[in-house]
Amino acid sequence: MTDATLEVRDLTVGYGKTQVLRGVSLRLAGDTRIGLFGPNGHGKTTLLKTISGLLKPWHGEILLNGARIDGAAPRAIVDLGIIHVAQGNVLFPELTVLENLRLGAYCRRARRQLKDNLERVYLLFPRLAERRRQHSKTLSGGERQMLSIGVGLMGAPELMMLDEPTLGLAPKLKDELLEAIGEISKGGVPLVLVEQDIEFLLALTDHLYMINHGAVALDIASGDQLDHEEIMQMYFGKE
Amino acid sequence: MAFETAQSVLLSGIVLGSLYALMATGLSLVWTTLGIFNFAHGIFMTIGAFIAWQVGTDLGWGLGPAAGIALGVAALVGVGCLSEFLLVRPFLSRSGIVMLVVITTLSATIFLENSTLLIWGARYKQMPPLIEGKVELLSTAISAHEVLMIAIAPLTLLTLWVFLKFTRIGSAIRAVSQNQESALLMGMNVPLLYSIAFGLSAGLAGFAGILLGSIRFITPGLGNEPLVKALIVAIFGGLGSLGGTIGAAYIIGLVEAISTFFIGLYWTPAILFAGMIVVLLLRPTGLFGKK
Repeated sequence: MTDATLEVRDLTVGYGKTQVLRGVSLRLAGDTRIGLFGPNGHGKTTLLKTISGLLKPWHGEILLNGARIDGAAPRAIVDLGIIHVAQGNVLFPELTVLENLRLGAYCRRARRQLKDNLERVYLLFPRLAERRRQHSKTLSGGERQMLSIGVGLMGAPELMMLDEPTLGLAPKLKDELLEAIGEISKGGVPLVLVEQDIEFLLALTDHLYMINHGAVALDIASGDQLDHEEIMQMYFGKE
Repeated sequence: MAFETAQSVLLSGIVLGSLYALMATGLSLVWTTLGIFNFAHGIFMTIGAFIAWQVGTDLGWGLGPAAGIALGVAALVGVGCLSEFLLVRPFLSRSGIVMLVVITTLSATIFLENSTLLIWGARYKQMPPLIEGKVELLSTAISAHEVLMIAIAPLTLLTLWVFLKFTRIGSAIRAVSQNQESALLMGMNVPLLYSIAFGLSAGLAGFAGILLGSIRFITPGLGNEPLVKALIVAIFGGLGSLGGTIGAAYIIGLVEAISTFFIGLYWTPAILFAGMIVVLLLRPTGLFGKK
């Protein structure tokens, strides 16, 4: 078997003494897009935080293109090209949109492409270009989410992890984001997408994992032809 | 009141304000970046003055005032980075970090104050003014050294502002206090940024100390009283707003000069504290602080 782009093997982690992940394994091959869903508080965000180095794994391995990255500092992981767009991210509220975006390209690898990536972000989210001189705290919820994703793109991602990008957004904005994220993924960036909105996930990803009680409860490849209703049934249980 | 008197009170207020602006900006920078109060800020001033005296004056190594200032400020940047490493970094992940750092920086103050006493002795030191002579300003003669202080403080702070506003590291320093998790996820070296902020702050303190040391006698307690004033300024101006801090520095300087002239040296600190309490009662975030 060739090396997966991202592979997580039997990962356990927690906060203090509270264990959250109980042996999660998953695989992202090539430039595919995987989606994670499942009830709140069951470890999706924790999984992303562990991959991006904010949390140190207790046990298990994380591999990027076959090389182990578990336990590395967040800085090292950003340098490798894994960009984590955190949930409900407020970024730097007292800085302008442009300042936030520029800081997104903080690491050396991304700095070289700062100009090109800034153009890309403005093309993808014209509204950010309009508001580039505003403090990011003055943005609306949808604009803030665009900025979060934009800042992620400024980091020149080789792999992008998005944590609930549509949280609390109106349907119209969801569609707008769906289009933008689809655009990013078409550009060849593999995605790890955490979402509660199953339709959003089905539209954007090829492989779904349901995380429940800190473990992978379901593994649904795109070939499995599951429709929305069946997934909802598994999610909420049958009558 | 005679015009000349008003003018000299005004000038002495601006001189004080310049000094407080340099001091309080450093204090405020550490507060915005790390969310802690550095009580060793005053002793940093004292050490800056002693080093400049040692390097620059004829009783020391006699290398001249320029070398004294350069080495004094450079040494203080080093002292600042070292202090961050020893006094702050070990406690960064603790929940009670604010109180812990009050204790560590106060202990460092006692330790360093007595160290300066051991190294340089108790005899008062004096530094000659950076430039000799007097300048005639609107019919009042003031020392050229004071004019230099009035000019140099805004220039230094302008440089700091340009650094914080327009450089990559400067923006990162402003950013890291607002959202540490985002800073980490963008690949910033957070401890290094803390160290730079602390070093800059200490460098500013050292510079203020050198300026103060050339208008007052240098003693191990040189920085104590200015530290208290800088605290008032930083709180009065609204913690964390650099512009507010600088504005407040000049206001406090002027109030102090006016109060010293009319009411006397003895009651002035009480008046300043009373003023601070009134401002905090009416505007809990400080005069220029944001809600």
